[in-house]
Amino acid sequence: MIQTLLISVLIMSAISAGLAAVLVVAEFFLRNYGECKITINGEKDLVIDGGGSLLASLVEQKIFIPSACGGRGTCGLCKVKVPDGAGSLLPTEEPYLDKKEIAGNMRLSCQVKVRNDLKIEIPEELFNIKEYSCSCEEIRDLTHDIKLFRFKLIEPPDIKFTPGQYMQLLAPIYEKSKEEVYRAYSIASDSAQKDIIDLIIRFVPGGICTTYCFEYLNVGDKVKMNGAYGEFRLSETDADMLWIAGGSGMAPFVSILHYMKNTGNKRKVTYYFGANKVKELFLLDEMRQFEKDLPNFRFVPVVYEPEEEWNGETGLVTKAVGRNEKNIADCEGYLCGSGGMIDASIEVLKKLGLDEDKIYYDKFA
Amino acid sequence: MKESPDIKKLEGILRSSKLSSSGFMGSDRRSLGEIIDADLAVLSELGCPAKDIASKMQDVTNKATEALGNWIKIDDSRQAMITEVKGRIPCPWPHASNFAKRVTILRDTATGDEIKWSDLNIHLIAEHNFFEGKGCYFRVEPAKIAAMLF
Repeated sequence: MIQTLLISVLIMSAISAGLAAVLVVAEFFLRNYGECKITINGEKDLVIDGGGSLLASLVEQKIFIPSACGGRGTCGLCKVKVPDGAGSLLPTEEPYLDKKEIAGNMRLSCQVKVRNDLKIEIPEELFNIKEYSCSCEEIRDLTHDIKLFRFKLIEPPDIKFTPGQYMQLLAPIYEKSKEEVYRAYSIASDSAQKDIIDLIIRFVPGGICTTYCFEYLNVGDKVKMNGAYGEFRLSETDADMLWIAGGSGMAPFVSILHYMKNTGNKRKVTYYFGANKVKELFLLDEMRQFEKDLPNFRFVPVVYEPEEEWNGETGLVTKAVGRNEKNIADCEGYLCGSGGMIDASIEVLKKLGLDEDKIYYDKFA
Repeated sequence: MKESPDIKKLEGILRSSKLSSSGFMGSDRRSLGEIIDADLAVLSELGCPAKDIASKMQDVTNKATEALGNWIKIDDSRQAMITEVKGRIPCPWPHASNFAKRVTILRDTATGDEIKWSDLNIHLIAEHNFFEGKGCYFRVEPAKIAAMLF
C-alpha cells in the first residue's frame, strides 16, 4: 500500500516537473520576439532583443529615463513619447497620463513592451545621463533625521551636472529589501568638484532607500547612481531672487550657491530657510561663509518655535517672507520642499506681487 | 477560511518589502482578513466606523499642513506636525492611486502620547479598512487612534 502511494507521488511529481519544463521551453520560444529596432528621435537606431520593457531595454543601452520605482509602474516618472509601435494604452498607465499626454502618444516606458519595432522621442539631454559607480566617502549628521552623504565617483570618474538637478541612488538588495530600488535626491555638491556627489537625505521610517542609507550604508561601501536629472536651476536673468526651503530642500541651494561663488554671480539672493527648532537648522557655518563670499547673498533662518535663545526670525517661514519682503514683482522665486510648503510659498509670493511664471520649484511629491 | 488567489497575491505584496522596507503586515502572522476583522471588531465596540476615523485623520492632516512642518495647535489638548520627503508611494491594493510620502504626528499635549500616520494610512483605512499588521512601523492601533481623535 505504502509502496503504491510512493510510486504514485513520484509519478505525479515527475509529470509536474515535465510540465514545468515544457512551460519554460514554450515561454522561451513563444515569447521570443527576436530583434526589434527602437528608433530614437528619428535619428538613432538601437537594435535590441525584444520581449522586455521599453524602460529596461533603454537602460541596457545606457539610456536612462527618470524612474523612481524601478519599473513597477507606480511612480509615473518614466514618460516617453512613443508615436509608433507601442500598442494600445494599458490600464496600468492611464492613471499617470492626462488627456493631452495620451493624445500626444506619451506612454510609461516601464509598461510598454518591446514586441516589434518602435519609434520614440526623448529629450536630447537624456543622452547625457550616465550610471556611476561610487564609493561612500563621508556620512555626516546634520540633524537628528537628516544626513549628508558624500560619494566619490569611480566609474566614470567625473560628472557634469547643472546645479539644482538630482540623482537617482540605487538601494541594493539588503536585509530589509528583496529588490533593488532607485530613489531621487537633489545634489548638494559643487558642480566644479566633478568627482564628488553630495546628497542630503532625510530619514523616512520604513523607507527602503533611506533605511539602507541610514542603517546599512558605511563609509567605503560601493553604490550606484544615475543622473543628473531635472529642470530646477538658476535662470539666466539678473533678477533679484527669493529662495525658500526647509529640511532636505536645502540641497539644491547649496549646489547653486557653490556655482554662484565659482562664477562670480552678483545676483541678489535672500534665502529663507525654515526649521521647527534651532537644533534642526544645519549648514549654518557654510551659509555664513557664502554670505562672505557672495556680497549680495543673505541667509535668513526662520525658527518656528525656538527652544533656546534665538534672535532671528520666528514663526512660519512663509510669514517671515511676508513680513520682510515688499513688492517683489521684479524678483524670481525659487522653492524646494514639501508640497504644502511649496503651495503656501507660492501663495505668499503671489500676494507680494510675483507672477507665478517667475516662481521655480522642486516639489517633493 | 480558504483565501482566493487574488487575496493571496495581495497578502504577498503586503508582506513583502516591495513598497516599504517593513512591509504592511509587520510581524503579524494573522491573515489579512483576520487583521481587518479584528480591527473592525474593536471599532464596532467603540461605535466608531473606519471611515469616520479616516475622515478625522484627514482633518488633522489638513490642519497640520498649514504649519509647514512645524507643530500646530489642533485644540487645547492636541498638537500636530507633518513631515514630508521626496517621492510618492502607491496603494498596495490593485488599483491606481499613489500618495505623497507625508507623515502626520498627533500629540496629546498633556500626556505626551503620540500617534502617527501616513497619507497612505488614511487611504488604507478609508477604502480598505486596513490599519496594517502588528509590528509594522505604520500600524495604527484602532482603539488608540479613536481615543486620540474623538
